Amino acid sequence: MTNDNHFLRFSLFHRFSHFLVIISFFGLVLTGMPLVFKDYGWAHWLYGVMGGYPTAGNIHRICALITFFAAFLHFAFLSVQTLVKKDRGIFWGPDSLLIQPKDLLNILGDVLWFFRLGSRPKYDRWIYWEKMEYLSLMWGTFVMASTGFVLWFPVQATSLVPAKLAAIIDLPSLALVAHRYEALLAAGFIFTIHFFHTHLLPENIPMDEAMFTGRISEEHMSHERGVYYERLKESGDLESLKVRPAGCGGSLFSKILGIPFLVIGLLMVGFMLSSLIISLVDMCC
Amino acid sequence: MASILYTLGAVNSKISRFLFVACLVVLFFAASINYLYSQENGDCLECHTDPSKVDVKVRVDHVTGEVEIVSMLVDEDAFHSSAHGGEDFYCIDCHADLEESEGEHNPNLQPVDCITFCNDDPGAEFLEGSHVKLMKENDVQPPTCKYCHAGVKSKRDVPKADDLYHRKDTIDKCGGCHEEFYYSYRNNLHGQVTALGHVDTDIATCVDCHGQHTILNSSDSESTLGADNVIETCSVCHPGANDNFVKHVAHPKYKNIAYYKSVFGAVKDIRKDPERISGIVKSPQMIITILFVVYVGILVMTFSGFGMHSVLTWLSTILDERKGKESKHDKR
Ligand code: HEC
Ligand code: HEC
Ligand code: HEC
Ligand code: HEC
Ligand code: HEC
Ligand code: HEC
Repeated sequence: MTNDNHFLRFSLFHRFSHFLVIISFFGLVLTGMPLVFKDYGWAHWLYGVMGGYPTAGNIHRICALITFFAAFLHFAFLSVQTLVKKDRGIFWGPDSLLIQPKDLLNILGDVLWFFRLGSRPKYDRWIYWEKMEYLSLMWGTFVMASTGFVLWFPVQATSLVPAKLAAIIDLPSLALVAHRYEALLAAGFIFTIHFFHTHLLPENIPMDEAMFTGRISEEHMSHERGVYYERLKESGDLESLKVRPAGCGGSLFSKILGIPFLVIGLLMVGFMLSSLIISLVDMCC
Repeated sequence: MASILYTLGAVNSKISRFLFVACLVVLFFAASINYLYSQENGDCLECHTDPSKVDVKVRVDHVTGEVEIVSMLVDEDAFHSSAHGGEDFYCIDCHADLEESEGEHNPNLQPVDCITFCNDDPGAEFLEGSHVKLMKENDVQPPTCKYCHAGVKSKRDVPKADDLYHRKDTIDKCGGCHEEFYYSYRNNLHGQVTALGHVDTDIATCVDCHGQHTILNSSDSESTLGADNVIETCSVCHPGANDNFVKHVAHPKYKNIAYYKSVFGAVKDIRKDPERISGIVKSPQMIITILFVVYVGILVMTFSGFGMHSVLTWLSTILDERKGKESKHDKR
């Protein structure tokens, strides 16, 4: 195995979409979280830095539209794949991001591995937790977008509720609860679990650059996604994915881009978690 | 004299008009001379802006009995931008017992009477309203005008209605007596935005919804939140507010432990008092609370599950690497 072989893991399109998601997600979190943690000094400071009311709210809305655009791009991509390219692989099979029977076996294998009862299973193109992250991102975006629009246009949204139901269904309040706790879920998930699984594992620390440079080394690929690697090797597709390794500049650029986001995210988690603990302690004592 | 005036007036109305104006001028001067005799603001401020002449003082509030330390220095800018800082206010209008005095004065003055001379209408609106009646029924001492209308540094600097400090202060003052409603207000967007320091007139504080001096129960159709007025109240900021919109739950209870207790209590008494539980179920609070509880469950499950997964993956990877069993780095 030569050390210098690199393969394309994410196309420019997907990297661009991921970049849009990063930018908008951080914008949304930085302007939204202060409202949730309104009783704490860091939230006041952050809200001020983001421009205060109503500027922070406008940034929030702009970032929401960017997320919307990214979601639109994604669905356009899915449509082209299925309708134009007739590629059913995105729904079923090893290249699909939907949970497959094989994933359940991998989960079982991982549990055995945790208890030292077996060696680590080899994964295909997408590891099961990546699929869960993808699916929760889909669900989360749907919830955040629909409740976000209700909060943006509360008067118009309530007029959609039948008059009979309006006395027991208060749409804006429900939207606010869902928006707030789904946001805590999403921010908490991305800044801990996603960061941990993708960037902060011992083998990737400080970050996995694949989503920025698009490239993965042969060594990393066969180690991290053994089944995928073997599969491509056998079918001969591997050669066609071969690319030049990312230059020094590309790697540096993705570090400069990625690491600040990583740090901001971890700081946010620190603030959020400590505030949560303080309020729980306050509530109990 | 009267007859002369009468004939002059009849002969030449110009002269009578002149006389009339002359009388007015004389009267005006008489009035100003009257003022010259009493103290001007400048006389008071001579001492009250000079730190070498006045100091702080310990004073006991005559109504609440609170002991306060107040500065005798008058901040002219703060006073002039207050509601009573206009040209036509004299110190002695309010500090009426100094009307006749000159120079040094009795150190202990009568507290300023806010109501009698100037604000009898708004005063009565508050003092005779049902809010104060309810306070008295509940053995709560009604707040004084000065308590709700105090300025930053002194009670003297009564803030104007759109003063930002005053708007924030009002939330705290209402919230001081209505803790439960204060916390639920903070739990909604209106309260979150004001908590972060934006309290301008474009975001609702307690009084924007409930009214200022006349505060009625929301179920009273004449209250600002009653059936007759609520659309108008919300429309100030939410143009096009409709019947559905105004059913918004302004005080959600899902973070209030007493609410959960009352639900469990009602479930226990379901045989004896079925009305109670159906009242709770039919309230919009119910679905909001269920959604909240579901989300707390999802949050706890997700983070404990994935958290454990992360930690175990981390540990296992390190163990594997140490053994050199799996890692291909070591094989080569
Ligand atoms: C010669 C200086 C002087 C002048 C002129 C003066 N004051 Fe004072 N004033 C004082 C001092 C000194 C105190 C503080 C007394 C103390 O510490 O007990 C005081 C206290 C006060 C107090 C607080 C009284 C209390 O019961 O706490 C008021 C109100 C007041 N002055 C209003 C006025 C007004 C209105 C004028 C103009 C009509 C005026 N003063 C003119 C020196 C002056
Ligand atoms: C609109 C009424 C009003 C006017 C006009 C007014 N005051 Fe007062 N002043 C008050 C009130 C109310 C207090 C609070 C103490 C009390 O309740 O007696 C006060 C208190 C004070 C105090 C005591 C310090 C404090 O903060 O309690 C001083 C000194 C004083 N005034 C001086 C002046 C001077 C000098 C002027 C003229 C420039 C003036 N006041 C004009 C209403 C007024
Ligand atoms: C529970 C707090 C509270 C108390 C007590 C209170 N007010 Fe008010 N008052 C308010 C609020 C809030 C407003 C609306 C904002 C503003 O104008 O400052 C207001 C407004 C006013 C206004 C302006 C009304 C208008 O139409 O612009 C006057 C005058 C007034 N109050 C006088 C009084 C007087 C006199 C008393 C004592 C009898 C008193 N207030 C007691 C809270 C209170
Ligand atoms: C967006 C408008 C709004 C704001 C702002 C608001 N409330 Fe309310 N409040 C309501 C409505 C609507 C009700 C009746 C329904 C309910 O109880 O949830 C209510 C009910 C109440 C009640 C129970 C008595 C009643 O009339 O039903 C109290 C007490 C109360 N609010 C106090 C406060 C206090 C204190 C604040 C500020 C910290 C505040 N409210 C802010 C709209 C508001
Ligand atoms: C000194 C304490 C005190 C302050 C300050 C106070 N309230 Fe109240 N309020 C009461 C009491 C006592 C009651 C009657 C019992 C209850 O509902 O808690 C009451 C009742 C109410 C009610 C229900 C009225 C009804 O007819 O059922 C509302 C709404 C309300 N207050 C709003 C406010 C608002 C808004 C403010 C701020 C401008 C405010 N309160 C300031 C003590 C206070
Ligand atoms: C003084 C202005 C003002 C008044 C009065 C007011 N609101 Fe609001 N309200 C706002 C502002 C500002 C926002 C936040 C808008 C934004 O930036 O998204 C808001 C947001 C809302 C929302 C969406 C967020 C949420 O909490 O679910 C609802 C619903 C709402 N208001 C209901 C009401 C109702 C019902 C009333 C009348 C009882 C009312 N408001 C009175 C200013 C006001």
